[in-house]
Amino acid sequence: MITLMTNLGITLLVIAGVLLLIVFWYIGTMNQLRQLELKVNEAESGIDVALTKRFDMLTKMLETTKGYAKHESETLEKVVKWRSGIPQNATLKDKEEFLGQMNQVASGIDVVVEKYPDLKANTVFLELQAAVANTEEHLQAARRLYNANVTRINHVIVTFPQSIVANAIHMEKKPYFEAEEKKRQDVEFKF
Amino acid sequence: MQEKMDLFNNLKKKSELFVALGGLVFAIGIVLFLALQSTTGDSNNVIPFLVMGAGAIVGAVGGGTFAKLKSRFKTEVLTAFFEENLPGIQYHPFSGLMELDVYQTEFLKRADRFHSEDLLQGQLEEVDFASSDVRLEERHVQHTKNGTRVYYVPYFVGRVFMFTFNKPFEGHLQVLESGSPLSGRNFKKVELESIDFNKKFRTFSTNELSAFYVLTPDIMEAINELEKRNPGRIGLSFTGKNLYIAINNNRDTFEIQLFRRIDKQMMDGFKRDLMVIKDFIHTLKLNTKVFQTPDK
Repeated sequence: MITLMTNLGITLLVIAGVLLLIVFWYIGTMNQLRQLELKVNEAESGIDVALTKRFDMLTKMLETTKGYAKHESETLEKVVKWRSGIPQNATLKDKEEFLGQMNQVASGIDVVVEKYPDLKANTVFLELQAAVANTEEHLQAARRLYNANVTRINHVIVTFPQSIVANAIHMEKKPYFEAEEKKRQDVEFKF
Repeated sequence: MQEKMDLFNNLKKKSELFVALGGLVFAIGIVLFLALQSTTGDSNNVIPFLVMGAGAIVGAVGGGTFAKLKSRFKTEVLTAFFEENLPGIQYHPFSGLMELDVYQTEFLKRADRFHSEDLLQGQLEEVDFASSDVRLEERHVQHTKNGTRVYYVPYFVGRVFMFTFNKPFEGHLQVLESGSPLSGRNFKKVELESIDFNKKFRTFSTNELSAFYVLTPDIMEAINELEKRNPGRIGLSFTGKNLYIAINNNRDTFEIQLFRRIDKQMMDGFKRDLMVIKDFIHTLKLNTKVFQTPDK
């Protein structure tokens, strides 16, 4: 009788131990997913910051070109739908579209510079040109960082057995920021 | 140049002769000692030790002469040779980067014994640079029954380069083939999107976004290429406005050697070692002006 109870006790302990391990694993995986999700969100705000900086620089460039080409500048200003930057509830798709619009503006400015070469002698314009190039690099970096974090979290979400936890907490695969910088020479502008 | 090479080859012969002769006489002394010991059992005979001593002295004279010749070669030949290949460069054979500059890499451990030489500095395509051979040694203490023995072990023998870096960014970044950052900064390991790059190098940064900003796909590819072209352990540190590169290749660059003729092949080797500076500047696009800060 005692032996039976001891055996039962051991069995129960083992079962409890396994269950505890599973619970710890579940909690650990859930925390891992949440932390990765935080990193993705942080990286997405990095994209927002970079987009906003680029938008500000392009706006300043447009202001500078107004003195030389008022009509063209006003035309380009209308390309961008958000005049005061990215709204807070913008989706990733919206941001991709916004980036595409800014690329069009940047291409348009290139066309204006070719039409009005005096702009190249304007010191302020040249500084802004360097600043815009810098913001483009920052945007690329932010995009790459975001996509690297998305790859990491998606890898965990789709891999068994972590996928069980992901499904349980309703975590879905994150989208990539896929907007490709259009080559400037591909965009035609007729003013 | 050929005349100078011939001159130094002739001067080298004397040193080589002394060293060879000294070695031979020393070897004779050893043989004599062993022979006497095995035949007469007498290990206190002075003659073998005198012979060995004479050999050592002759060898030392040869070595001393050669050391002076090496210095003379650097001053009389290499200085002009470097100026011819990279106009405007300054070569100081007996100076090197200061200890403080070397530790600015923040991945090279402070040494108990520091030595640097063959300083090259100047400006190339508007990029300021400086480089030198660096030797770092750490002190070891061995306690034996006969007492304490102190000796030094080198852990870095190679070249350290310093360039101005034209891309302003926040934080600090290191790309290392081995080891970790040695500083109090909050470095975190960064995984970039290139699997090959992550396998070959360990990237640490205080700002993850800056790591992606500086290490574009082109630059990662460039670093891979530089690593292949420069045997040894390479480390890069982007800190402030400077880029530090250290190559631990166990080589003492720009040295002539005993029993090796000074010829075009050797001079080409020196030229290759010199042009590493230009290679770094071009491959890593340090001469690009796009991102230069407004005060430049």
